[in-house]
Parts: sequence; structure tokens; C-alpha cells
Amino acid sequence: MTETTAAAALPLTGIRVVDVATVIAAPYCATILGEFGADVLKVEHPVGGDALRRFGTPSKRGDTLTWMSEARNKRSVTLDLRRAEGVDVFKQLIAKTDILCENFRTGTLEKWGLGWDVLHEINPGLIMLRVTGYGQTGPYSDRPGFARVAHAVGGIAYLAGMPKGTPVTPGSTTLGDYMTGLYGCLGVLMALRHREHTGEGQYVDAALYESVFRATEELAPAFAMYGVVRERLGSSHNDFACPHGHFATKDGKWVAISCATDKLFMRLANAMGRPELASSSTYGEQKTRLQHRHDVNEIVRDWCGSLTREEALARCYATDTPAGPLNNIADIFGDRQFHARRNLVAVDEPDTGESIIVPAPVPLLSETPGSIRSLGPTLGQHTDEVLREVLGMSDADIADLRVKRVV
Amino acid sequence: MHEASAHAPPPLPLTGVRVIDVGNFLAGPYAASMLGEFGAEVLKVEHPIAGDPMRRFGTATKRPDATLKWLSEARNKKSVTIDLRQPDGVQLFLKLVAKSQVLIENFRPGTMEEWGLGWKELSAANPGLVMLRVSGYGQTGPYRRRSGFAHIAQAFGGLNYLAGFPGETPVLPGTVPLGDYIASLYGAIGIMIALRHQERTGRGQIIDVGIYEAVFRVLEEIAAAYGVDGRIREREGSGSFVACPHGHFRTKDDKWIAIACTTDKMFERLTVAMGQPQLASSGLYGDQRKRLAARDAVNQMVNEWVGNLLRDDVLQKCLDEEVPVGKVNSIADIFEDEHFIARGNLAHFDEPGLGDVVVPGVVPTLSATPGRITNLGPTLGNATAEVMRDLLNLSAAEVQRLRQAKII
Repeated sequence: MTETTAAAALPLTGIRVVDVATVIAAPYCATILGEFGADVLKVEHPVGGDALRRFGTPSKRGDTLTWMSEARNKRSVTLDLRRAEGVDVFKQLIAKTDILCENFRTGTLEKWGLGWDVLHEINPGLIMLRVTGYGQTGPYSDRPGFARVAHAVGGIAYLAGMPKGTPVTPGSTTLGDYMTGLYGCLGVLMALRHREHTGEGQYVDAALYESVFRATEELAPAFAMYGVVRERLGSSHNDFACPHGHFATKDGKWVAISCATDKLFMRLANAMGRPELASSSTYGEQKTRLQHRHDVNEIVRDWCGSLTREEALARCYATDTPAGPLNNIADIFGDRQFHARRNLVAVDEPDTGESIIVPAPVPLLSETPGSIRSLGPTLGQHTDEVLREVLGMSDADIADLRVKRVV
Repeated sequence: MHEASAHAPPPLPLTGVRVIDVGNFLAGPYAASMLGEFGAEVLKVEHPIAGDPMRRFGTATKRPDATLKWLSEARNKKSVTIDLRQPDGVQLFLKLVAKSQVLIENFRPGTMEEWGLGWKELSAANPGLVMLRVSGYGQTGPYRRRSGFAHIAQAFGGLNYLAGFPGETPVLPGTVPLGDYIASLYGAIGIMIALRHQERTGRGQIIDVGIYEAVFRVLEEIAAAYGVDGRIREREGSGSFVACPHGHFRTKDDKWIAIACTTDKMFERLTVAMGQPQLASSGLYGDQRKRLAARDAVNQMVNEWVGNLLRDDVLQKCLDEEVPVGKVNSIADIFEDEHFIARGNLAHFDEPGLGDVVVPGVVPTLSATPGRITNLGPTLGNATAEVMRDLLNLSAAEVQRLRQAKII
């Protein structure tokens, strides 16, 4: 996207982030900060490193594609926080850090002598993102939490699937991780603003289940006021609008059609070549369509089933009906919009020469766009340079730490 | 940790930032809601007669101008009516822009330009303006003019294809406007980054978010994997391709539970919880690869075990062994859950004429400057007079004229 952008032009240049977290949730916050210029130091255990290195499809280099994509722009520094000397080096690093991202189980950093009180005393301006399944407080705070469980607890897994059928994964098992990374990043940036105005640091407490629960629109108010328990939505959501769902086409593909208003349904009726369906005596009104949702969905299903996906979509686009393909990743690679927006970026991995295609940074900023300057680093690739440059250690100091397996 | 006095509430990080939210529904306006929770003054600019259509979308209340969705998601906003289809309305809007730091819009690309409110005019009125533009497909590219609601954009971005059972109908991924929320999160992050740049350089900029690309960005390695070996990720039902057992299981009382054994260690704990530790031996299913190869058999064993127990019993046995587990909560379950209550995830408001209204609390939690909800979705135009008088310094006669001409 903007591979040529120099880091100096980026808006977070000069901000140092220590990412001591694992997998996706808190690390994704650091990834976003890195795309916009922060220097992200990925602090990993000397043996094995971040579990994300082993999560997903193997790369030629021996780690995984997920790692290479999502650890973009980071520098890897190994440090064993279970050893006293590792804790000491970590404290030195925190003294020179603006933002710390962590997602250990609650109490883990405290056990190592690296709780908020200690770190805040070392660096009063420190901003600390703490991500866990259930947050730092509350009765479940010490339970292990993964996104799968968070989707369940946060109420969105219950809603995904066919009515009365088995609840399914809401599209992606790590959705809650990414959403929490986003909330965490927003919290960190607000805390950074507060610090720049007051000098005061703070921590951001983000819970996986809360991020997905927050996206359930009026689920909670409707239960509180009317006792409505929303059930699984299936492929159509017809509580407020019809037709609004997924429809199969003749070629075994799928389209999404969404008629939130009567005007949009009229456009669909025109696309179907049946404008009479949108008259006031037939299905012109949302209320009528909702009462006869099975009939309306059946009409749309029959129409879609008689056409290929391309034909159905071309007719919808011609009348400006909100419709689109259910793209799989092959569709996406062939799509003009993804190419025009440069949503797919090929980045070369210098060691193996492998070219990896990864999603470009989002969002797109006009003056200070984010960039991918490197893929995920190899384990400990930058240990020596960071210890030297940031902490001013000598080669002998570093060699000593290495012999003791602290780094 | 902070020196908050006993009298004043803690400070908020965005105090002094004025945000104009001229969007409809959620994609973009939700970014304004989050900024408002953390102290920004959010002016919701709406059409004088119709207002934001979200006022009529969703579950109705006794207030004719507010659904529950509006009450919850327009939290902390002030409503100012201006008709942008009239030249006087455009001039008024530009004056408001000159006194604001952030503008959020989600019209179809080109619409604001038609009204004389493109970036050229807006940045002339305010060179430091930070503008978030959210649309289904973004401001550029061949599809930019297509209408794009969250449902369509999620499908286009690749998420909806992945929800459901293999070979069966793709379902909605749990919450319908998920893409609106995710796009707004990216938008709010973009705004914070751009505000910081603006404070250092005086220069504003545009943040351009396509809902589809916000959704696409959270799909981990599916692009990289397709790029390397052409592998197309398909629907995975209630399970996972990378770990087993990792899914939803039905309990004896016809409820559901999620179990996520991402590693061998967690599977070992599960087998202890099941009272069958031998299953985790290396000769059997101790190794993730073996479990994935025999996933149907492994899932079947877990299904049988779970199916013989009540949900609470499965939960307790798993928790005792520290197996990652959770109830597949309905909203009724959530309202009974002590953890949701303890974390303040359900915020109660006594709303005049409506009684108790419960909305999701603020996410994330900041230790020194926690966000807050000061009011639920406003009535149409509740702050018009105040803004015209105090912010734009218009005379009472001028305000009267604008009202009569239905410009405000």
C-alpha cells in the first residue's frame, strides 16, 4: 500500500511499545500502533516465543502465515520473565517505554513482580493495555479466556446459526480477539492523549467478552424492557426488515440482499422485473412483508435460484438495490474493488524470498497512511540491537545474559 | 492512582474536542458514540423533519422519536437540526465545522460533494479538520457508489461466507451490524491518530473506511493462505480447523456450552474433567494432529459427555480443571450473570416516560479516565437553539427565520 513511506512521516513515530502479549488480542493493538509508526518491541520467551508463531498455516521459514502477517513491523526481543534477571531487564525497558501491551491471565505479571503498581512507579507515564477473557475485575477474572469462549459468554455465538440448530462460530474464531485489539488500541490512544496533557499514565482493562457484547445493538435494552430473548438468526434477519438475508443462486453461490426500507424493496421488485410486488396492496409495506416474510423470502429465493450470481447481482446493481456477493477468499483475490483499494499487499520475506500476501493496514489515512515495513520477525532477531540501542548494554552484558538463558 | 477530588468526576481524555456526527445509523456514528463516552462533545446533525432513520429502526418505545437502538447508540449526543439540502443550511454547517475538530459522515460517496460540502470546502472552513468517512466500499474504487449496508459489506468482505455449516446455507455472524461496529472502531482509532497529528502539525486529514475492508482485516491468515497455496477457507460450523475439541456442545438440559482446547495441555485437562485421562495419552488423542485427524470421534466423545450433564455441572467440572469453557449465553443468561453485573456491563438509566432502560456499558475500561454515559439518545433538535445561540452566535431573530424556513 505505502511500502515506500518512510517511518519518519508516520504519526506515531517516537512512540515505543512493548508487546509482551501472545496470539492476537493485545498484540493486534501493537500491530496497529506499529503500522502508524510506533517502534514495537515484541518481548518473547527465549524458547518458543509467542504461540502465534505456531498458530495457523506453516510458512517456509518454519513459523506460520498468521505470525508473518500479524507481527508485521515488530522487532523481536527475547527475555525470560520467569528469571529474576529477566525481570530486571524488563523493568529497564519499561522505564523507556510509552505503551505496554499484555494479555497474561490476571495475576501473572504480579506474580513475577511486574504488576501495575511496580511498573507505574518505574514509569509514571506508562500506559498499559491489559487484555484477558473476563477483565481484571469481577468473579470470573481468573478464568482462562479464549475468543471462542468469549463469543459464547458475550452472547453472539448464541445468535449465530439456524433457528434451533447448533450455534456456530460467528464467521471467524478469532473475531473477539481482533475486536478487543481494536478497543484496546482506542483506549491506549485516548490514554496517550491524556498523558500528553497531564503526564499521567494509566491502564486500559479490556475483556474479550465485553468487546463482542458491546456489538449486540439493542439486544440488552429489548430484553430489559420487553423480555425479548433473541434467538439464532439463521441466514435472514427479519425482525425489522424483509427481505434481508442470504440467497442461493443457480451456480451454487450466494448473494446477500438487504431491503431495510420500502424504497429499497421497490428497487428489488424492479430488479426482479416484478414492480407489482411493491404496490401497497401487495408487499409494498415493510409491515406487510414482515407478516408474510416466508412468502417474500420464497419469491426472492426463487428469483435468485433462477439466475447465476453474476446475473442476479447485475440486476440488483442496475436498480441500486443493496446486494452483494458472499465472497470467499478466491472471489476476493479476483475482485476489482479490493485491488483498486490495495487491500491486498504482497510483502517479500527476505530470508526465504517467499512473497506473502497480507491485508493492508486499515483505516486509510489521507495524510499519514499506515504502512507495512516488514513481516513478522524471527525469534530474537532484534534482541542484540535493542539491548544495545535502547538499554545501552555492552556486548559482554548481552553475552552474559545469553549464557544465563535470560535472553 | 489519580488525584480526582471528592467532588468532581474524573477527567476525560477528549474534553474540549467537538465532534460533528452527520451520519445515519451506526457505521461512523458509533465512532462518535465512543468519542462521546470519553468526553468529546458530540453534535448529531440531523435533518429537521426526519432526523436519523435509526430513530425509527429497531424496537419501538413509548417515545415516538426513539427506538431502543437509538436510545442506546446515540448516547451522550446532542441533536442539532440542519437541512443540508438548502444553501443556508450548508453555510450554517460550514460555520459549525469551523468550530469543530472532527467530522463524521457516512453518506454515499459523492453526496456531500453534491451539497457543496466536499473536502475542499470543509478544509477551507477548517484546515485542521479531521474527517471520518465511512461507506460500504470506501471513497475510491469501482464500487464506491454502490449502496453498502453492513450486511452487504460483511458478505463482500468475506465474513458471512464463513459462518454456518460446511456445504450449508451461510448464516448471519451473530449480530447483524457487526461490520458497522468494526468499521467504527477502525474509524475512531484513525481519528485519534489524526487528532494527534493535527495537534502537532495543524494539518487535518481524511480517514477513509470501507466497511468491507474493516471486516476483511480481521480474518487472520485467510488471504496469506490463499496466496500461498490457493486454499479457500470454508465454513467451519461450530468447530475450528486448527484445534479440537473447539466448539459448541449441547447439554442434557438442552442448553449449549463452548469448550476451546487450543493446546494439548488444555485437552489433557478436559480429559481429567471428563474422568477419562487416558484419552490424552500419546497413543490416543494426546496430540493435536491426531485429534484433528479424528475430529469426528473426538467431538463425539465430548458430545456424549456433555450431553449427559446439566450445563452448570459441565461448567463446574471444566472450571475445576481450568479448561477454557463458557456458557453460550442468551441475553436472559447475561442479565443473570454476576460477572456482567460486577463489571458494569449493563448500565441502567431512568429515562423520563420510559422507566428503566438498560444499555451496554462503556468499553474499554480506563483506570484514570473511565468513560461514562451522561444521556441516552436525544430528542430531535434538543440542542439546536443552544448551538445556534452559544456556538454560532446567531441572534434570536435569525434563529427564528431559520426555523420558519425549515433550515433548522
